[in-house]
Amino acid sequence: MNTQTFPNPSPSHLADAPVEDRLAFAITEVARQFPDRTAIVAGAGGETSRTIDYATLAGAIAKLEGSLDRVRPVGIVARAKRTESLVVIAAACGRQHVPVAFLAEDSRDLIGELRDWVEVDDSLLLVANPAAQRREFEAVATHVVVATSGTSGPPKLVEHSWDSLLAAARLAEQWHGLGWILVYDATRWAGIQVWLQSLLTGGRLVVPASRDPDTVLRAIVDEQATVLPATPTLLRRLLTSADRSLLAKARLDRITLGGEAADGPLLEQAQTAFPAAKITQVYATTELGEVFRVTDGLAGFPASWLGRSLAGGARLGMRRDGELLVQLSRDSAEVATGDLIEKRGDRYEFTGRRSDVIVVGGAKVFPRRVEDLLRGVPGIADARVYGMPSAITGELVAAEAVLTDPLPEGGTPESIRAGALAACRSGLEPHGVPRILDIVKKIATNPAGKVPRRQA
Amino acid sequence: MSSPSDSTTAAIVAAIQQVLHDTGRTADAVEPPMLLSSQLGLDSLDLAQTIVLLERSLGIDPFRAPSTGAARPAIRTVADLVRMYSQGISDRPAQRLP
Repeated sequence: MNTQTFPNPSPSHLADAPVEDRLAFAITEVARQFPDRTAIVAGAGGETSRTIDYATLAGAIAKLEGSLDRVRPVGIVARAKRTESLVVIAAACGRQHVPVAFLAEDSRDLIGELRDWVEVDDSLLLVANPAAQRREFEAVATHVVVATSGTSGPPKLVEHSWDSLLAAARLAEQWHGLGWILVYDATRWAGIQVWLQSLLTGGRLVVPASRDPDTVLRAIVDEQATVLPATPTLLRRLLTSADRSLLAKARLDRITLGGEAADGPLLEQAQTAFPAAKITQVYATTELGEVFRVTDGLAGFPASWLGRSLAGGARLGMRRDGELLVQLSRDSAEVATGDLIEKRGDRYEFTGRRSDVIVVGGAKVFPRRVEDLLRGVPGIADARVYGMPSAITGELVAAEAVLTDPLPEGGTPESIRAGALAACRSGLEPHGVPRILDIVKKIATNPAGKVPRRQA
Repeated sequence: MSSPSDSTTAAIVAAIQQVLHDTGRTADAVEPPMLLSSQLGLDSLDLAQTIVLLERSLGIDPFRAPSTGAARPAIRTVADLVRMYSQGISDRPAQRLP
């Protein structure tokens, strides 16, 4: 694929359009100049893949806008499964100033809060509901509703303005026409950020057929995607489980990590596997949006950032017990993030979420610490530590581990497991030692690509 | 009370031996009359682990099941565990074996 220079919705041009129009505007501009340019490749790296070009998207957006104008719904719930449908719905609703909600399959029961909103699926057909029409001249602030992934509490709906949704999008020249891999759920904050970013900059969104490591790498190689936004868990899985020859063929220019804190060893492994890649760690939550980015390749963030106003305007603080606090702007309230940090040298590193802590007989254990230890054991490629309920001690520390392939010289699964338990005994307090250590083929992750901390 | 089956006893012995092995101790012999704490050296974490292993092998956790109201008998020996699990198994509604 030739890397031609590109059309641009040039940055200044895009900025002239009202913020909720920008997605539709960007797609329409590219469609106008390069109708055949691929916008989305779905099912990439799999048996059958599907290509959608910018012209097709632009046409579908116009058609849906017509329906929205006729039907005048109070709001739209995007129930579509296909990424291209979600994009069309978002763009059309934005430009028509209709509030839109993105709900994943597992957020189905949150829909009660959006009474009267009209559901739109992959057919992109709108069924009029006279009982739920906006009144003439009724002004509704156009907004976008996203469901949280439920890692920091029960899933809930969060409202964002289009301004806040697009705040982190990078529109400079250097970001134009790139190939983006979407391994995140397209209906959640992180996934939405990826497809918005790709479509606002005339990029090519590559959606792998599944999250299986080989499929993802095949998608990267076949479609020449160069940007990989992912959670550390997904990246670690790619690095440990994927076919070595596929891994060698993949060329990434940028890796953006988010959703969980990355540790030093993972950052090093990623840089070794992808020497040309610039690795960025993004700290963001569905409620706050993006708070800061770390680009120095080290875990955590510089200690000097605490108490100071950062580039995006946010201010970081820390509670006495180590919880990270964020104040987005001078007028906003300080938010307790639920993430715990610890000062190590001239940096603050993330030690885990407050809710992750496992309590064994009253004593606290942080899963991340045990995981770091397990990953250092020869023969263990990756591990997940979680709390298992116990009538005797409240909880027990349990773990599952994936072995390296091939196993170390002379190692057997049993000897590696025994070695891991011995390492835990010497490196941890007795209550922190995993009482259950299962050897598994892959680590459990939740729909957001993160590691569950309670028994899966 | 039904007499404890050999398989229940075997499962309990195996679970205790696994706990001893996993915690870096050797298990010379595990016999029903032995005292869990003073003879086998099992602490509350060891017991908690034993219970998880037995839930996996026998499919029940009598410690979590609602008590009948009578005070639960003390669990001091391996035989006490065998008695408790056998009771739990026979109390269980008829179902397919795991």
